[in-house]
Amino acid sequence: MNVLYATLGFLGIYAYVSFASLLWGGIDRKLVARMQRRMGPPLLQPFYDFLKLVSKESIIPRDANKFFELAPVLALATSIALLAYTPLGFEPIFGTKGDVILFIYLLTLIGFLRVVGAVSSGSPYAQIGAQREMIILVSREGPMMLALFTILWRLSDLGVTKPFSMGTFYEHNVWELGTPMSVIGTVVLLLVFLAWLASEIEVGYFDIPEAETELAEGTMAEYSGRHLALFELANAIKAFVSASLVVAIFFPWGLSGYIGLTGLPAVAIDLLFHTLKVFAVLFVSMSLFRAVTGRLRINQAVSLFWTRMLPAAIVGALLLAIDTLGVVA
Amino acid sequence: MNGKLEYWVKVPVGPIHPALEEPEKFIITLDGERIVNVDVKLGYNLRGLEWIAMRRNYIQILYLAERICGICSFSHNHTYSRAVEEMAGIEVPERAEYIRVITGELERIHSHLLNLGVVGHTIGYDTTLHLSWLARERVMDILEAIGGNRVNYSINTIGGVRRDLEEKHIRAILDMIKNYRNEVMPKIEEIFLYDPTVEARLRDAGVIPKRIAIEYSAQGPTARGSGVKKDVRYNEKLSVYPDLGVKPITPKEFTGVVKGDVFDRMVVRVGELWQSMELIERAIDQMPEGKIKAVPKDNTLLFQLKKAEGEGIGRYEAPRGELIHYVMGQKGKDVPAKWKMREPTFPNLFAIARALVGEQVADVPVAIASIDPCLSCTDRVAVVDANTGRKKVLTERDLLKLSIEKTRELNPNVKAKPEVVGVGCPRGGVL
Repeated sequence: MNVLYATLGFLGIYAYVSFASLLWGGIDRKLVARMQRRMGPPLLQPFYDFLKLVSKESIIPRDANKFFELAPVLALATSIALLAYTPLGFEPIFGTKGDVILFIYLLTLIGFLRVVGAVSSGSPYAQIGAQREMIILVSREGPMMLALFTILWRLSDLGVTKPFSMGTFYEHNVWELGTPMSVIGTVVLLLVFLAWLASEIEVGYFDIPEAETELAEGTMAEYSGRHLALFELANAIKAFVSASLVVAIFFPWGLSGYIGLTGLPAVAIDLLFHTLKVFAVLFVSMSLFRAVTGRLRINQAVSLFWTRMLPAAIVGALLLAIDTLGVVA
Repeated sequence: MNGKLEYWVKVPVGPIHPALEEPEKFIITLDGERIVNVDVKLGYNLRGLEWIAMRRNYIQILYLAERICGICSFSHNHTYSRAVEEMAGIEVPERAEYIRVITGELERIHSHLLNLGVVGHTIGYDTTLHLSWLARERVMDILEAIGGNRVNYSINTIGGVRRDLEEKHIRAILDMIKNYRNEVMPKIEEIFLYDPTVEARLRDAGVIPKRIAIEYSAQGPTARGSGVKKDVRYNEKLSVYPDLGVKPITPKEFTGVVKGDVFDRMVVRVGELWQSMELIERAIDQMPEGKIKAVPKDNTLLFQLKKAEGEGIGRYEAPRGELIHYVMGQKGKDVPAKWKMREPTFPNLFAIARALVGEQVADVPVAIASIDPCLSCTDRVAVVDANTGRKKVLTERDLLKLSIEKTRELNPNVKAKPEVVGVGCPRGGVL
């Protein structure tokens, strides 16, 4: 692969995803506001917020150590690195064998860096937020990984060139397994993924680490100015990327094949169509979820994951596996 | 606090915190997410009201009492009026009592809707906030129509009310009640009685057992939510309330159990919304014709009060609980010798602080919001005490001067001289 083209394409994707994810922030706020019978902020409000934060002074607590300033930079860097492995309607640029595992590591790393930044700030609110973030991080990854690896294992069985990679989802579609069992199993896993997505972007039930009315933004309590702007951008990109994963697994259809386009126009059309699908997934998992639920207590959220989502993931995995094991028919 | 290793974290909630509408400090000692101790610090919202009142006459205090709190503005000036009426032996016409009941219950509806929204907001359920505050607009419009203002309606005066209810007002009120019954209340009930999220968060949070509620003298919905049948309107046979058939509402009638948690307090509030609407309808039904003021002119009233001597106590069930005003008159002066009030928030705050021990930090904001704290009502007594132990009393003029100097310091472009001009009321009187 031409290094120059890859680099340029990567920068283009970064610019596009930053724009799209911040735009989604505006759309989300407007939609939720309309659901609550409010006018809501202008559509471009996240951009204004971002620009304002970048231009403002960043206050660093006296007791903070170096990681306080480093964490937002690293978080944004991680989210940019993540983009290289994110399926955006076409195979990831740097896609290779087993990149799904790297993808999940990087996604978790953003959460971890938030914790590092919060702990370094020395604020009690941030520390409670960090504790909560760690607890919920541990509980949400289990069911999600089980679901993800089941699907990958099942798809690898059909014969793919690069097993356990993001490209797998574009070679085979999980719905095309076809048997009734696998369809039911896939629906169950889709629900698990939607819950994981809501927890990953911390809305509704899972707005626990940031809990504005309890902890005054929790992990983000001490951040301001440029550092907060970096975190906000990293979080927005993270939301887009996490939703991209769900879209890539469950809705991997493209438009270009039907229209008969090739080359750059095909990429552009697929990217736009993918963005629409991401917005649709985020609408269900973020806007609707935020409008109809409140925040849970940390123990309730954890038990939701261990006693509801994990069994659901196991059931879904078994339903998918039963076909190949030959237990039924 | 025994000899074991301590990993306790002290978290200050307040004085400025997103969960609190007003400044107040709770120092919460935490062991992980569990609360070990709660320390309440009051006094951030001090305005020296009693001191100001000693420089105003009886009628001017009415307007001061109204501004103690923006939510229960009617309750304060109603209770103050009752205290003065008792002191001076003024008989209130019956129609005025009915108008007071109607205004008071309208205020209760708006206060309870506000609190239901605030509780929804503290558990991150903002849709409930916007729903109930939207509904609240309607009752505030009605209050504006009958009183002239949305917040400080100043409908009350000593010995009666200042405005009569006209036919169109009554029609508007009945319209509003019909709308609430059919459209608002089903939604409110669905959220606060049957929604799984709300139930998961509010059940077993901030539990005040009945014994603690009695011991700490909790008031209003906080006490009734714990199963204490305590309602001034009912227990004291206040004004015309017995004719209207008022009863203390406990969660037992709605859910069958009394646990004394945040959920039960919300159930009590939902029940009281129904009750208030019923009371208003009955009051409109039974309201007799007649005059609305015992003494038609204010200067005659002041003259009469000047001759009065002795003490008077007014009690009223404000939306948050029992409100007490105490007035002591002095002969030959139109300024009371003493004016003192006790707000429901004060006992409730300590009851909730006691109840929070052993619970989770996530329950703190919602538990505090559930007693509907009104800190501007509560902060009252001034103690001027520097670190050196020296006492210094600032006069009104000093405070104004300091504030002007501060403004100039912050914004040097202000050209005006730091001069105290137009300081409100006539001076004099004693502390």
